[in-house]
Amino acid sequence: MNTLPRAAGAALAIVLTLALGWASDAPMPAFRPTDAVVRVSWGARPERIETCRTQSDEELAKLMPQMRQRVVCEGTTARYRLEVRHDGRLLASQEVRGGGLRHDRELYVFRELRVPPGPSSLDVRFVRLDSVPAEREDARERGPGADSASGGISPERVRRETEERRRRREEAVPASLALRSDVTLRPREVLLVTYDAEARRLVAVRRTP
Amino acid sequence: MAAPSRPTERVAERALIALDAVCNRLYGWRGNPLYQSGTIVFALFLVLLATGLWLIFFYRVGAPYASVARLTANPWIGNWVRGFHRYASDAAVVAALVHAVRMYAQGRSWGPRALAWMTGVLMLIVVFICGWTGYVMVWDTFGELLAREGARMLDTLPVLSEPTARVFTGERPIPSVFFFLNLFAHVGLPLALFGGLWLHVSRVARSALLPPRPLLWSVIGLLFALSVVRPLAMAPEANPFRLADAVPADWFYAFWLPLSRSLAAGPALAGAVLTALALLLLPVATRRRGASAPPPSQVDESLCTGCRQCFADCPYEAITMRTRADGRADEVAHVTGDRCVSCGICAGSCAPMGVGPPGRTGRDQLERVREYLARAEPGAGTIVAVCCARGAARFGHLLAADGAALHPVDCAGNLHTSAIELLIRGGAGGVLVLACPPRDCWNREGPRWLMERIYHDREAELQPRVDRRRVRVAYANAGEPSAALAALREFAAQVAALGATTAEGAVELEAVCEPAPVAERS
Repeated sequence: MNTLPRAAGAALAIVLTLALGWASDAPMPAFRPTDAVVRVSWGARPERIETCRTQSDEELAKLMPQMRQRVVCEGTTARYRLEVRHDGRLLASQEVRGGGLRHDRELYVFRELRVPPGPSSLDVRFVRLDSVPAEREDARERGPGADSASGGISPERVRRETEERRRRREEAVPASLALRSDVTLRPREVLLVTYDAEARRLVAVRRTP
Repeated sequence: MAAPSRPTERVAERALIALDAVCNRLYGWRGNPLYQSGTIVFALFLVLLATGLWLIFFYRVGAPYASVARLTANPWIGNWVRGFHRYASDAAVVAALVHAVRMYAQGRSWGPRALAWMTGVLMLIVVFICGWTGYVMVWDTFGELLAREGARMLDTLPVLSEPTARVFTGERPIPSVFFFLNLFAHVGLPLALFGGLWLHVSRVARSALLPPRPLLWSVIGLLFALSVVRPLAMAPEANPFRLADAVPADWFYAFWLPLSRSLAAGPALAGAVLTALALLLLPVATRRRGASAPPPSQVDESLCTGCRQCFADCPYEAITMRTRADGRADEVAHVTGDRCVSCGICAGSCAPMGVGPPGRTGRDQLERVREYLARAEPGAGTIVAVCCARGAARFGHLLAADGAALHPVDCAGNLHTSAIELLIRGGAGGVLVLACPPRDCWNREGPRWLMERIYHDREAELQPRVDRRRVRVAYANAGEPSAALAALREFAAQVAALGATTAEGAVELEAVCEPAPVAERS
């Protein structure tokens, strides 16, 4: 083989290898400086809309011991509406339901909304759409025999049932959440709006260097 | 044979021929990387396994970015290994794409080759997923961008009640299990590639897995040198509260990212799935139907002596040997139709000329040579150029203008040596077989078997009575007329110095066959 083609071949191989190295970490534009993001994200247990009934001792006796439960509740979970306004302009409006095919799991909110950086007002609302029966569940639970330990159910089991129902009720997201805030977002900054389960309110989180 | 018949195939083939010609000139056909794209992918896969095994010792799922940064900061045992790993993965993508384009352009993506095509596409998809997981593992801005985009598309599927993108919101630290799963996939999927590779080459005999050593070490050496002279730098760590303006991206794995990010998640995912499906099902579109579908080889059992040579030579393991049903003691060859690509290699391997695609057996070739001799009556100075239809026959007019008599064949590997003998004994001054370069043979092993039949007594060998000085094999692809013309002129000068031959008139040729060594097949 001639020297010239061989040298040209080697040079071409080197150039192509360098091109490969360049393309391996060449800059890719990601976000413009005119972008900032409001990220609305949380997960919470929805309120239940259900009818609870206290089972009689006769009904309980027909069940296997491990299936006995003094109060049985049937129903579904509430629907909510999320609305996000930026400087009064509606950026997002969506209905939110619990997860799962029967919508009986946690509900999840996740939206990333591009907004221009700079000072602005932010208004996030999360409101229950369905009405929960006026009668409070705990009142219903205190119905005749609700706390009875008869019918083959131990007092400890009854206590656990009651405790579990109370826990679910308390964990449920409030019927209405709102966050109104004046914020100044820097270019490419992300503002996270999330639900603080302990404080039971929406909070805005930002961590800029 | 399955010549390119669709416009896109023809365009791709023209480009390929031109590139092959350039590379042949620069590197010679033995070193042409375009001919070796498939084996280069496998060689790079081994490099990735070796470097990956080393890197995994230093990776911490609890501190992904910090562990990679620490490794990258070490120039002796970290940075160049990581660079080597990365550049080899990029080169593997390039080589795999070249390999796929080559198969498509040469009409080798359908029929019995569909399995190889589909497993190849599946492996390429797995390679892209491995690349995705590999970059997410680092958890820099590029990895975060890939992860977010993947999650965005995944969340359009109505299977998960919690959006996967919530992992990256910054509400809480990203759980280690996410990086563990990433690592698991990044390590586990390449192991699955071995299964894919087994399927990929399951329908070819004597599959070559590695390129020739000079090319192998050249590729590895170049990538190693690149990893040393161009050390990797760490991109900034992913920050869920800060959008990156630009990320240092690996475009070989993220070329799709700008497009998908400009689309809604649903169309982006649909586009990716449809593209993958279209590539997977390409053999349905490229399949030859009706008259354009080449018929598989057939065996004339009355001629078959059971010598096993066609069984040994078939590049696609489409021929098996069976016990005869006609009471003769020996075996008989049997062609499995759905494995036969109609390459015709068996026609050149059968001394009694009892096997081959219809119209292309040794006997058919002799018939055509006789017709040619009767029609053309070649003189003593005539060089008959036997040209491969996919190679030198494309510029046959140039050879004819230079005084050669053309005798095209479907593949030089089809050429029965008796046809060469008949040409010489019929009065031709010499026979120049212009075959495609061995690594470029559309039927894999045509030039190899041809050379062995002419010069190394491989069955069906060129008989000793034929003057080898009047026979020559040269290599030229369809884009190398100058190489073919140079070979023709040199050979013509050599033949002229030999003096005249005398045509023998009615030539009878023996058709004998010696049993092939069984070990050759195993």
